[in-house]
Amino acid sequence: MNVWAKIISRLLIALMIWTPYQIATAGIIGTDQVVASSSQVDRTTVLNFLSRSDVANKLQSLGIDPATANDRVAAMSDQEVQSLAGRINSMPAGGTSTGAAVLLIIIIAAAVWWFWQR
Amino acid sequence: MVVLAALSALRRFRQNARSIAGVFILAALCGCASLLPQSASLRETLPPELHRKIELTEVPFFPQTEYQCGPAALATLLNEAGVKVTPEDLVPEVYLPERKGSLQIEMLAAPRRHGLVSYQLAPRFSDLLTEIAAGNPVIVLQNLGFKEGWHYAVAIGYDYDWGKLYLRSGQSRRQVMPFAISEFVWMRSGYWAMVALPPDRIPATAEESRWLSAVAALERPDPRAARTAYQTFLKRWPENVNAVIGLANTHHALGELRDAEAVLRRAAQLDPNSVIVLNNLAQTLSDEGRDAEALQFIERAAELGGPFAGAVEETRKAIRARLKK
Repeated sequence: MNVWAKIISRLLIALMIWTPYQIATAGIIGTDQVVASSSQVDRTTVLNFLSRSDVANKLQSLGIDPATANDRVAAMSDQEVQSLAGRINSMPAGGTSTGAAVLLIIIIAAAVWWFWQR
Repeated sequence: MVVLAALSALRRFRQNARSIAGVFILAALCGCASLLPQSASLRETLPPELHRKIELTEVPFFPQTEYQCGPAALATLLNEAGVKVTPEDLVPEVYLPERKGSLQIEMLAAPRRHGLVSYQLAPRFSDLLTEIAAGNPVIVLQNLGFKEGWHYAVAIGYDYDWGKLYLRSGQSRRQVMPFAISEFVWMRSGYWAMVALPPDRIPATAEESRWLSAVAALERPDPRAARTAYQTFLKRWPENVNAVIGLANTHHALGELRDAEAVLRRAAQLDPNSVIVLNNLAQTLSDEGRDAEALQFIERAAELGGPFAGAVEETRKAIRARLKK
């Protein structure tokens, strides 16, 4: 397949993604878009559509069943979905059960505190 | 500087044990003000409007089970806000089994499923104290280990004169932590902290635009609660056109077209050249079956152009198509 055919088919894929979503957004302009910076509106609409399913897939791969994953993504704002997409694995996940590590840190920090106090 | 101090201490290691101790105390003293900048500046002054000592003793406590400090901390906030849930109920909403923990964004998202507005605080120690003083327990993300020691705890009180923070954390109902240690474990998350409040309240430290985004995020999961939150918002900031648009959008989503129309007409007076107001008003009128009226507004929106021109054009096409029928 030559280069042009490749480019055209990619373009068509992009257009096909774009088309149905445009129809869906006609009508009321959502507050999420109003609150976002207006110059990026068109771009974020498309990205967001892709990102939501992307994030839902990521959640599934981390041990969540599909229906629950969709519910969880539905509770996120557009901005949150954007910031999760693609970097979910590098984000901190709070879960430590307070144990030995805590004790160690507290001893070190207590020493620092004690020096600092006087 | 600390490194130099340590090196010189090493060189003199065999000479004099007392000088070593002296060097380390010096290093600690020099280092702390820059290492823990917020506790250091808090030592100077407390924001004058704050109590010197407060503890929200009524805040419930849910002891954490293995790895699940996220659900436990959230349950604490939600129950305090009047939502009756257990940590077990929240596990499927925030916990990620493969990561053995909960992500910050999901901690913010989950309260919306229970009709609350989540707000991430500005990364300031004084804001944390201000929220507590206003009666709002605060979830903070701490790092207690060396690499993967992320942990959520709920700050519920402080004593300024003693420099101590009170927390519901892990297995302990009332953990007492000096300000400096609190900052030490908290700063590694970039001072990440959040509150979750019922829609008829506004956090003490809320900034207008960031609070509006927080309310807008509630629209999709719970338009009814979002409607209340916009009304509360507009009592405080009545001139904010974006909040008026948001209020109208929740009315529209709930099928209250008459209310949406009334709100948008008021917005059009506030800002006659807002393309969004004109577009949404036209769409609402059209949904009420008044396409001829709608057409006037959408034509004006189309004349104004701007970043929403695409959406306006779609609305105009749809209204024209309905008129032809």
